Amino acid sequence: MFRTSRREFLRDLGLSAAALPFVLNLPSLGFANQTARKQRLIVIFSPNGVVPNTFWPDEEGADFKLKESLSPLEPFKNRLLSLYGVCDKVRGDGDSHMRGIGCLLTGCELFPGNIQGGGDTPAGWSSGLSIDQEIKNFLQANEATRTRFGSLEFGVLVPERADTWTRMSYAGPNKPITPIDDPYQMFSKLYGRLKDQESLKSILDELQGDLQKLAANINAEDRRLLEEQTTFVREMELELSSASAKDMGHAVPQLELNVKESAENMPKLSKMQIELMINSFQSDFARVATLQYTNSVGDTRMKWLDIEKGHHDLSHEGDDNQKAQEQLTRINKWYAEQMAYLAKRLEETPEPGGNGSMLDNTVIVWTNELGKGNSHTLDDIPFVLLGNGLDFTMNRSLKFPKVPHNRLLMSLAHGFGHHIERFGNPDYCAGGVLSELTAKA
Amino acid sequence: MPQRFTTPAGLFARWRVIPTLICATLLLPRLVQAEDPSPGEAIYRAKCASCHGAAGEGTLKSYPNPLVGERSIGELTDYISKTMPEDKPGTCVGDEAKLVSEYIYGAFYSPTAQARNKPARIELSRLTVRQYRNTVADLVSQLRGPGQVENQPGLTGRYFKSREVRNNNDRVLERVDPVVAFNFEDKSPDEEKIDAHEFSIKWNGAVFAPDTGEYEFIIRTNHSTRLWINDQRRPLVDAYVKSGKDNEHRGSIFLLGGRTYALRLEFSKAKQGVNDKKAKERPPEPASISLEWKRPQRVEEVIPNRYLTTAHPTESLVLKTPFPPDDRSLGWEKATTISKEWDQATTDAAIEVADYVVGHLGDLAGARRGDDDRPAKLKAFCRHWAEIAFRRPLTEDLQKAYVDGPFDKVNDPELAVSRVVLLVLKSPRFLYREIGSPAESKNDPFDVASRLSYGLWDSMPDAPLLQAAAKGELATREQVVAQVQRMSKDLKAQAKLREFLMRWLKIERVPDLSKDAAQYPAFDAAIAHDLRSSVEIALDELLTSDGADFRQLLLSDSVYLNGRLAKFYGIDLPIDAGFQKVSLDSNERAGMMSHPYLLSDFAYSASSSPIHRGIFIARSVLGRTLRPPPEAVTPIPPHLAPDLTTRDRVSQQTKGEACQSCHSMINPLGFTLEHFDAVGRFRKDENGKPVDSTGSYRTRQGDTVQFDGVRDLAKFLAESQETHSAFVDHLFHAMVKQPIRAYGPQTKESLQKSFVSQNFNIRELLVESITASALTTVDANIQTAAKNDAGATAEK
Repeated sequence: MFRTSRREFLRDLGLSAAALPFVLNLPSLGFANQTARKQRLIVIFSPNGVVPNTFWPDEEGADFKLKESLSPLEPFKNRLLSLYGVCDKVRGDGDSHMRGIGCLLTGCELFPGNIQGGGDTPAGWSSGLSIDQEIKNFLQANEATRTRFGSLEFGVLVPERADTWTRMSYAGPNKPITPIDDPYQMFSKLYGRLKDQESLKSILDELQGDLQKLAANINAEDRRLLEEQTTFVREMELELSSASAKDMGHAVPQLELNVKESAENMPKLSKMQIELMINSFQSDFARVATLQYTNSVGDTRMKWLDIEKGHHDLSHEGDDNQKAQEQLTRINKWYAEQMAYLAKRLEETPEPGGNGSMLDNTVIVWTNELGKGNSHTLDDIPFVLLGNGLDFTMNRSLKFPKVPHNRLLMSLAHGFGHHIERFGNPDYCAGGVLSELTAKA
Repeated sequence: MPQRFTTPAGLFARWRVIPTLICATLLLPRLVQAEDPSPGEAIYRAKCASCHGAAGEGTLKSYPNPLVGERSIGELTDYISKTMPEDKPGTCVGDEAKLVSEYIYGAFYSPTAQARNKPARIELSRLTVRQYRNTVADLVSQLRGPGQVENQPGLTGRYFKSREVRNNNDRVLERVDPVVAFNFEDKSPDEEKIDAHEFSIKWNGAVFAPDTGEYEFIIRTNHSTRLWINDQRRPLVDAYVKSGKDNEHRGSIFLLGGRTYALRLEFSKAKQGVNDKKAKERPPEPASISLEWKRPQRVEEVIPNRYLTTAHPTESLVLKTPFPPDDRSLGWEKATTISKEWDQATTDAAIEVADYVVGHLGDLAGARRGDDDRPAKLKAFCRHWAEIAFRRPLTEDLQKAYVDGPFDKVNDPELAVSRVVLLVLKSPRFLYREIGSPAESKNDPFDVASRLSYGLWDSMPDAPLLQAAAKGELATREQVVAQVQRMSKDLKAQAKLREFLMRWLKIERVPDLSKDAAQYPAFDAAIAHDLRSSVEIALDELLTSDGADFRQLLLSDSVYLNGRLAKFYGIDLPIDAGFQKVSLDSNERAGMMSHPYLLSDFAYSASSSPIHRGIFIARSVLGRTLRPPPEAVTPIPPHLAPDLTTRDRVSQQTKGEACQSCHSMINPLGFTLEHFDAVGRFRKDENGKPVDSTGSYRTRQGDTVQFDGVRDLAKFLAESQETHSAFVDHLFHAMVKQPIRAYGPQTKESLQKSFVSQNFNIRELLVESITASALTTVDANIQTAAKNDAGATAEK
């Protein structure tokens, strides 16, 4: 997969095959286009719903206050949109959790299948693609917005199993995309070739030396073969020195070594993935990213928050269990902190080749599978948007009259200039995009 | 300009005493060149040199190729009388023609003359593409160990009474299943032990990949399934989640031929996820599963029993990096040239291997992430890696340069390992054969070990071989033979031999055998696939039989058929019969030449092709050289000459003088197979006329032999020393990949003698050939630095 996108990429640049492995560390194709600004979308997923009364602002409109769960986002309030009353209306096979994550970005039903949930009928994969992939395809189809990968799917502590609970993004019907939750694997995907270049450079002298030593001891006829080899090594040396890490607009991220994948390390892993995401945007490797924390029905024990019980377990406690509700609020607050950290890093980073910060050109969408954990409701799905990437009017708390979330998904696409008339199940697209998003304040 | 016969290096026919003497006497005049030239030479200078050059080297203006070949003096005389000089044919005839033939034969034309003028030598070679891939795979396997090798055909099936194949408490049944093709319907695999509503099955074992290429594995089932091939961590096919109506699941993987790969297949009849407690209240659902594959360029089939074993091999490293193909212009992979693409491929491959090694340091180096002495363990691993990759012990200097160096330069030991692997695999000591041995030793034991392993396996020496080398136990012929006999039992040796035979039969590539739908409506891809399988089974049987008698390839009177083939070829077998040996009428058929697969391949879509068949016999079996046709001629389509038989039509088509220079040999050979139509069925008539399958062949000695039908031809071929000589040549070159003449003038002769005396045992010939190539004296190599094979033809 890596290879084809490289070739196409460089074919567009008209570069030779010999320069292939090395040129990708140069500043991206995107800089060539200075007229329209860059636009990015990030979708963050966290499981098991929220505690509505500690999450949603009471007020509606431009004058609103953030409650406890969203308090970490205070510094970015003027770029924030909270959307209450957007509902996942998709029914069909699968229980609420499965449909919660499986229909969240796709807006369409799951296939019937063999994965049995807590109730309802068993289901398979989604029957359509997800909005992040729809937008990615749109951007990749246009040379001005094409990037090396198009989209990157990050994860944190996503279980090894591939089933309807662990997949959020779909490239198409029955085509789930596996999020990469191992930062080293992601690093390799993004920067592996660079590491290889450095290693190749380091061995050249030794190679040449040994070639000469050997050539001296064989007969003239055979020597020509080694001489040819020597020429190739010399050419490789020239190619490697002409493309070096200095050409990149920023440093290659240094990852802390040996961080194991475990619940204790979740905060650290979250930071590492966010750093890699920032970096990949700086290199313009992609314009769309998803960040999936665990999975639907995720049951992490978040000990660093002094919480002993698993998240999913907790989410099934009754509304009257004060302690549980307080702990659930703390959990969602921690997720909000991750979003805040991501926003901060975007704000601190100047837009490469453009004006302002990366946050000016990015929209982060934080969402969840359920409206509320213990009722499994798919109404009032949490949607919090942050960033100015899509010309939405930010700095408001909006309340909708139980609209299908397909319309929000379509609005995101329209924000990129991709004017689709429907997305997912067309029955839920009536009324088109949510015009309030772009209404002038 | 019509082109005549040239000989690629390494093919020289045995000559008779008298021509030898003539050659010898012709030599004398050459030594006193300054004095009177011989009559033959004088004629040459007067009538031939202006086009062919003073020493037969050719002239750019008229005839640019060297005047070399392997026709006999008699044939040359004939030819010259009829067609030379080209601008005035008929002006050099009778005694003149004879004298000039004798001159050129001895001076530069004949193989002996060629050998004398441009001696063959053993050239420095890099690893061929196949050798590179095999070597890397074996490097990793040696570090890991082979796994459990003992086996029987089939897969071990473990049956569980619940949906959980990982729960050993639920395992109630274990047996060896020959293939995986089950329709359980709504029942249980075992009524007593397993409830029909819910059960699971796990199959373990290995699959043998006969060819190198892309394999597609297919599972047809209506329930949850997963398949692992080779990599036991990531499934190749993950249909654990059943979604929608899809009951067919596929995954493709590139595999190296001649190896077995671990296979694990899981099947679970039940809902997955939350346990469906109400399932038992409903009637059981139907369940079925079949494990199929599609070999490279073949059709889909249930994986046959003969390719499944219950062994447990360890994971192989099969490189994905593509390589540019090797030069096959001489009929064998010549690896004495390199290119930029090849160099880039070795860089990419080295990076691929380095990533793999670093990703598997736990089981390859025994050094897990938490180990205290990990850096020391990793360094020791790198020393070992360099040593086995270089195929000889590591000197202190090399250790400093290749191992200590990278470790000193970086802090991170894993990065150091990655660099050592890179450096070692880019090193000429890895990429080239027999380089870096101490200059004095002619038969350095590690070079000998390399010759044995690359000759027999196209791969690196294994541990026992390297140990023998270290102990100096590869010095005598007896010691070498003992190793060769041990090594020829390995699957890799059989695979290489089988691939050689497929090449000898000219069917190494899978052809498109589409036939005319009106004439042969039943001949489809399935029949073509089965025919090829039939050949494969026959070759496997031959190579593992006691005598491994080469003549069986020509004389056998049986063929392997299954039900489908039997029906097509009019033999009485049950339609679902598996492959079995069927006797044929030995008056009608003989050996592989009359195997329907070859006959169908050497044919057009609606007619036989005596030319293709004749070329196969001439080139492969008799070892004759044939250049491409001098003039492009479109074959006469049968429908434009409906009254002619194929034989007549082909004769008509090739009757031109220029064509006849080759077709006078090709056609009479191919005509002997005319009783077989385009799909290899026997026919008595064609177009209402009785088939004429008489033929002939003019030997290199000049005698003409007549045949009537394939059995006559086969008998002649089986006994002819031309056949034996050609086969010895072909096998030697396929295995050793150096010109046989470079091993001294006696080698070819003695190999041929022993081939005959051992009743044409192919395995024994292999042993003799490899042994002869192993203990060579370097003197034979250090001849002049003249380049070899300038006049090589482009042979198919």
